[in-house]
Amino acid sequence: MLQLNRRNFLKSAAATALLAGTGLPALAQGEKLKVGVIHMGAISDTGWEYFQAQAWRALQAEFPDQVEVTVLENIAQIQDCERLFRQLSTQGHQLIFGTTFSQYASLKKLAPTLPNSHFECCAGIDAGDNLGVFEGKHHEGTYLTGIAAGRMTKSNVLGWVGAFPVPQVIYSLNAFLLGARSVNPDVVLKVVWANAWVDPAKEKDAVAALVAQGADVISGSPNTPVQGLAAEEKGVWSIGSTGDFSAYVKKAQLVSFELDWSAAHIEAAKGVLAGTWEPTNRWRGLGDGGFVKMTTSSPDLPAEVAAEMATAEAAIIAGTLNPFAGPIKDQAGAEKVVAGAVLPDEEIKGMTWLVEGVQGTLPSA
Amino acid sequence: MSIRLEARPQPSRTMIWLSPILAIGLTCCVAMVIFAVAGLNPLSALATFIFTPVTDLYGLGELLIKAAPLVLIAIGLSIGFRAGVWNVGGEGQLIVGVIFGGWLALTYGPGGGPWVLPAMVVGGAIGGALWAAIPALLRTRFNANEILTSLMLNYVAQLWLGYLIFGPWRDPAGFNFPQSEPLAPAALFPTLIEGTRANASILLALVAVGLGWALMSRSFVGFQLKITGLSEGAARYAGFSPSKAVWIGMLAGGLAAGIAGVGEIAGPLGQIFPTASPGYGYAAIIVAFLGRLNPIGILFSGLLMSLLYLSGDVAQMSLGLPSSITGLFQGTLLFFLLTADVLIHYRLRSSTIAAAVVAGSAK
Amino acid sequence: MSQFLPILLATLIAGTPLVYAALGELITERAGVLNMGVEGMMVTGAVVAFAVALTTGNLWLGVLAAMVAAGILSLLFSVLAITFRANQVAVGLAMTIFGTSLGSYLGKPFVGMALVLDPSQAAGGFAQLPLVGLIFSAIHPLVWLSWILFAAVWYFLSRTRAGLALRAVGESPTSAHAIGYPVVRIRYLATLFGGAMAGVAGAYMSTVYASLWTEGLIAGRGWIAVALVVFATWRPERCFAGAYLFGGATMAQLFAQSAGIGVPSELMSALPYLATIVVLVLISRDAALMRLSVPASLGKPFDPQG
Repeated sequence: MLQLNRRNFLKSAAATALLAGTGLPALAQGEKLKVGVIHMGAISDTGWEYFQAQAWRALQAEFPDQVEVTVLENIAQIQDCERLFRQLSTQGHQLIFGTTFSQYASLKKLAPTLPNSHFECCAGIDAGDNLGVFEGKHHEGTYLTGIAAGRMTKSNVLGWVGAFPVPQVIYSLNAFLLGARSVNPDVVLKVVWANAWVDPAKEKDAVAALVAQGADVISGSPNTPVQGLAAEEKGVWSIGSTGDFSAYVKKAQLVSFELDWSAAHIEAAKGVLAGTWEPTNRWRGLGDGGFVKMTTSSPDLPAEVAAEMATAEAAIIAGTLNPFAGPIKDQAGAEKVVAGAVLPDEEIKGMTWLVEGVQGTLPSA
Repeated sequence: MSIRLEARPQPSRTMIWLSPILAIGLTCCVAMVIFAVAGLNPLSALATFIFTPVTDLYGLGELLIKAAPLVLIAIGLSIGFRAGVWNVGGEGQLIVGVIFGGWLALTYGPGGGPWVLPAMVVGGAIGGALWAAIPALLRTRFNANEILTSLMLNYVAQLWLGYLIFGPWRDPAGFNFPQSEPLAPAALFPTLIEGTRANASILLALVAVGLGWALMSRSFVGFQLKITGLSEGAARYAGFSPSKAVWIGMLAGGLAAGIAGVGEIAGPLGQIFPTASPGYGYAAIIVAFLGRLNPIGILFSGLLMSLLYLSGDVAQMSLGLPSSITGLFQGTLLFFLLTADVLIHYRLRSSTIAAAVVAGSAK
Repeated sequence: MSQFLPILLATLIAGTPLVYAALGELITERAGVLNMGVEGMMVTGAVVAFAVALTTGNLWLGVLAAMVAAGILSLLFSVLAITFRANQVAVGLAMTIFGTSLGSYLGKPFVGMALVLDPSQAAGGFAQLPLVGLIFSAIHPLVWLSWILFAAVWYFLSRTRAGLALRAVGESPTSAHAIGYPVVRIRYLATLFGGAMAGVAGAYMSTVYASLWTEGLIAGRGWIAVALVVFATWRPERCFAGAYLFGGATMAQLFAQSAGIGVPSELMSALPYLATIVVLVLISRDAALMRLSVPASLGKPFDPQG
């Protein structure tokens, strides 16, 4: 059966529009803002690169006549980034986006030397000279999906398939368990590292391994629908963490959240167009203009659980609930956050430890 | 009509020179077909593809820093290939070079003197050579196929580097991101040409070309290696053991790849990432064959391959083609060269034509 | 003990692509041709199968298309390596690079899309049968077919005249030629078979195993298949067992991780590769066994004019 959906259609439509837009000596040349984006991987239908692409597509939709986007994808070698960012700049791109942490080092070096362009790097460490960064508070999403997982698990074992132990993944899975434990203190979370960003076969095997260990709700940071499909095959729940795979995972996907960088791109472009752009450090979670959006939830999710999640979401947006509010112990039982305190943002961003109840290892520092 | 190969009494001198040109020409034809299919003007697209990357000094510098590691590794690999030693572990040897060189840079770089960089180069070379020594040992002691063992070790090396960068070597100021601290200035190659990224590691590649040429064309060991490649029996008869060829071939490749690894972290990267290796270990295999395992040929094929990489990005930026076109053209080029090389030793004969000639002369 | 069945099942699923690719390569090598391009052919096969299955909604058309596509690549290999007598290792490496790039070029529009096929459809008309339908829903027909393939390859090599001819060509092409066997044609066919099987292996990866196409899907499995043939000392039954052994090693490390063993995950991920090296060493160290097992003309071009 042909799996066409709205998103594919939009994707190809956007791609066509892009092809038509590039390379044209447009009449209004002097007026258009040229925007450059470099993707590390291939733009796909779901996952990280997809969200990056959705952002510049939103930017095009917002300023159809004022903005022209040049996109490079599959620039896997870090060595190439510096050259390509520089080329984009010399070709007159005034706003240039990096899409991954790996490009941050190149951008940090380059941005101050290319004053004709402004730079923004997604998942970069910190804003610098002529370089803004933006990243999502993934943990606000996983805390909420954790609530669903904690309520729905029967075995009290959750599973997480991790790509690499980068900070986003570590604080995501920690918050996932904290969310689950907020409604069900007996839950544990088993973690398997694939040690690959994209290796669908291994992700599928990892799900099988977790299910065999008793996990009945599977989450992780997938770039593909594989985890969800594997969970569906095994008859357990899956949770789309930074990705909504409900188009493919028809039954098993309980709930999901996505990353939405549209605001990041549009704000930056507005700033450049108005001449007011400043390098900023944007770290946002849920809420209006935020980078984390709760997306689909399955009809199988009981209404009271959905309501519980909605309450928590409102509390997070209002600032009355912080996923990393104490008391929090680490794996070894040492108290990391005392009751009444919250973990400072800087420490969340650079997390190197797993919370109590997570069963898995991190490379030791 | 069937085509038949007829051995030439001696290798054709013309074809030795003509075959790479033929291969490049044919690849250009294939490229133009692909461009035409993609709806582009084939000729102007080809021109954009070839010339755009190197129209300015910066572009030339980029060409050189990409070509340097390819040439370096290919020279090392070619020494083994000549002797029939198939080291496809250049990638892993490069990564272990990164690990050894990187360790020196992180430990002694800050506050270190001018000796740090040379030490890193030596350390990287040792690391690469040690990693290459494993398949060499397994081959000479246990008869294990070096293609497979060296290849498996690529994956292991990658995971090892991943472990280090995600663990002990993580930059404490880097928010737990997978990267090392930036390397200290003492651990970086100086820039050669102002305004470009071209650095002194390019000179190492040139030295390698010279050494490779001296070894293969001017030394007895080189002669012995070539004999081994042609016939192991003959080499054994001449008192040259195949094990020696394995060791020399593997270690040469490992040394070169290890140094190339240092060239990356002390050059364009300036930092150690889990993805420090850009696949040069594999690409260098093509470079070695394109250069016909000859050091001077490798110099040119390395530049050509580097150009293809840069052009792949141009194809995307200006022509709207996917970047996988680079690998497609690299593979095609190698196919054509391997085919054209047949003509050095053989003549193509069509039996029908031959039959017709015979029939015609009989009248 | 409750762990046993899931591990077994997962191992079956993980080993199947290796069974196809390695048995195909085994036939190729028994004819004296060393095709190192399995990885590239698998990648292209995976993409083509995925694209065709997604467009037609039919798994089997996808598998067929993958066989044709990888078969065409193996023909290209044969022209260069058999007819033109180019270095087989070099052509194989070129094929890997070419096939991988071709796959990612063709697969561009399909990245990240998932293929959701009706599970009963894979079994075709058989799904309606009472018992058969149940069996096919537990274990995929392509897994069953891989067992039939193994039996066929084993029977072909050890019990048929054609198998004897193939082995003769691999052992001594000159004598085989003298007896009147069409050496070049047999080598072409053997390589074509190897290519087609690599295509099936790729198709299995993209349409059954992962149900999607993405770069990095094959992730070195083609190379593992080449290693398996050496590991098996060119014997189909060992090849078959080896495929599951490797599949099991891959699974075991993930199971160990999820069971909370406190070993760095990178080390666990490296285990299957290290295990392959160790096994290769154990098999190869017996030089006499290797000399007896390896097809004598493996990797050497054959000149009919002698």
